[in-house]
Amino acid sequence: MQRAVSSLALSPSVKVKLASAGFQFTADLRHLKPLQLSKEAGLSQQEALEVLQAARSEGAGHREGALTALELLQQEEEMRSIITFSSQLDAALGGGLPVGKTTEICGAPGVGKTQLCLQLAVDVQVPPCFGGVGGQVIYIDTEGSFLVQRVVDLATAVIRHCSLLVEDNDQRDAMTSFTVETILSNIFLVRCHDYVELLAELHLLQYFLLDHPKACLLVVDSVAFPFRHFDDLLQRTRLLHSVAQQLITMATRHSIAVALTNQMTTRLRGGQSQLVPALGESWGHTPTIRLLLHWAGPRRLAAIFKSPGHMDTTIQYQITSDGFRDADESEQPQSKRPRTHNDQSAGSQREAGC
Amino acid sequence: MATRILKRSGVSDEMCERLKRHQIESCKDLLSLTPIEVMHAAGLSYQKTLGLLQSVSKAIAPPITTALEMWKQQSNSCFSTSLPALDKLLRGGLPCGTITEVTGPSGCGKTQMCMMLSVLATMPKSEGGLDSSVIYIDTESAFSAERLVEIAKSRFPNYFNCKERVMQMAGRVLLFRELTCHDVLQRLERLEEDIISTSAGLIILDSVASVVRKEFDTTLPGILMQRSNLLSHEATILKYLAHQFNIPVVLTNQITTHVGGQGSASSAEVDSGFVTAALGNTWSHCVNTRLIVQYVTTQQRQILIAKSPVAPFAVLNYTIQKQGICIDGNDSQETLYRGTDPGLQPIRVRTEFSYNLNRSAD
Repeated sequence: MQRAVSSLALSPSVKVKLASAGFQFTADLRHLKPLQLSKEAGLSQQEALEVLQAARSEGAGHREGALTALELLQQEEEMRSIITFSSQLDAALGGGLPVGKTTEICGAPGVGKTQLCLQLAVDVQVPPCFGGVGGQVIYIDTEGSFLVQRVVDLATAVIRHCSLLVEDNDQRDAMTSFTVETILSNIFLVRCHDYVELLAELHLLQYFLLDHPKACLLVVDSVAFPFRHFDDLLQRTRLLHSVAQQLITMATRHSIAVALTNQMTTRLRGGQSQLVPALGESWGHTPTIRLLLHWAGPRRLAAIFKSPGHMDTTIQYQITSDGFRDADESEQPQSKRPRTHNDQSAGSQREAGC
Repeated sequence: MATRILKRSGVSDEMCERLKRHQIESCKDLLSLTPIEVMHAAGLSYQKTLGLLQSVSKAIAPPITTALEMWKQQSNSCFSTSLPALDKLLRGGLPCGTITEVTGPSGCGKTQMCMMLSVLATMPKSEGGLDSSVIYIDTESAFSAERLVEIAKSRFPNYFNCKERVMQMAGRVLLFRELTCHDVLQRLERLEEDIISTSAGLIILDSVASVVRKEFDTTLPGILMQRSNLLSHEATILKYLAHQFNIPVVLTNQITTHVGGQGSASSAEVDSGFVTAALGNTWSHCVNTRLIVQYVTTQQRQILIAKSPVAPFAVLNYTIQKQGICIDGNDSQETLYRGTDPGLQPIRVRTEFSYNLNRSAD
């Protein structure tokens, strides 16, 4: 296969020199030694070495890379999912939040996006003998909504839950090191105040991930807030694309789950206003799975509305003092009635004022 | 941070010159480009470009801490409201470093709440205060110094028993009257200096809604977008200041009539329209904690916790007395309610009650 030298990842001045010396395709560079190339093209020895390495790595890239679906299946089976502690949501997602994929959590204010993120940050650390992943988490907070007190609550609840399940020695051993302190020390927290800091952090994250191979989850809460006030929408789309690209690369290369939150925005369409996820249409292509949390009166619902592997489903959940949980079974069928009752009593109160 | 120029980020002079020719001067400019674009501008190979981006990122990226360190540092992470029942629900009070919004109908006690908190913040730590000054941005000209002193004297008669202490308290509440959007934004942008020079421990913006609603006519196309841009910008500044100085920020908001017909909500009451917090959905995302004050009767009022990362939905009854806001009953009387979307939580207003009262008087 012929590849043009000008398409290699080299600095422009080097490319000019190569072209004027008559090197057009990577095939022309084959069998050349650095010193020879440096003389022929008028490059420094270092530059010549870079050129040859670039050309060589390109060739190698074409031969490898391909992966059969069977291999991928085996790889995906090895990766475990991060449970959410809501059995209905886990079932809908096929076992929890998938590792190696990006998941977006959209939702109205106060519906529980941050709560789900915090829950995941704790859940990812559940030791493997309890069916967890036993990993660390990197939490990028752009909204200032990360509250440690709340994490302590959730961690305490998860520890209590696990300690009730202890059966064998392995699990007993795991419990000794599964404490609130270790859970907190495995949450790496970054507070980004604007999009530039977020971009910088994402640049560095790949190096951070190399140093922390146990990290299994990256949370960005929220990706929307730093990009909400932007005058130049074209620039915003460009930046969002590069953010998306980096997140997807990290998810696949380092086998981590990426959880993003997104806000909802009001869009006027033909005189009708409707709530849609923010950041525009093209952003919607980024996440592999999109989860929409919304209100239906006092009930909270989670709907999967984009996923390559799961049916569109809607489940009900609740936020308790212990965290993100299934809605009470007993409460579900009645949930409509007490509300209407309340409405009536509110109404009758008003009438009583007459 | 973002506007930091490259020279101060460990980039060589030669490279700075080169990038300057491509109008790349700050870290923001550089990081907004893709690696390929940087490669062309800087004349570097791909690997070296990644190195450049990494070193620039390192210069401006915020440090990574663990939640454990944060947990250990936070000894007093809450600002007690001196209302024990509310403090208990909010795990100690208004969380520092985040934005708390108080919303409700006019005359229900939003400004009273702000003034009460101002008094508290100036009091010494031994009395449950913050021992610091307060920056009070008043956009409605609703602040009354007389009332401030009255609240102080009647709420803490033991502490404010001599004139000096009252004077000292009043002297620590810095009032800024900003009556246009432009002024408010300018004030917020300069606030960093004011906070440092006065060592302020509390920021109050009363109200965020009034100027914005006055100046933006949302019936015109495109204006709504400008309005949410401005609000997001204000929220970004306030969140930055709150986090950097680890101080609470309190805002007040107004109410609006929500007209039904929104797709997701399918209950019957939506069709009739109801009163809810103003400034819309985007703004509701920006506040960390939302407290709603509403009327039950003309005297009896309620605080609802409508959005909080730590507290459940809860209702507290209160009345407004000489000493400010007083929660009725004892600690254990708070009740939970079945909350809904904090952006759509119906709020009870007074108009109907006063109207009804007039009628019954007839």
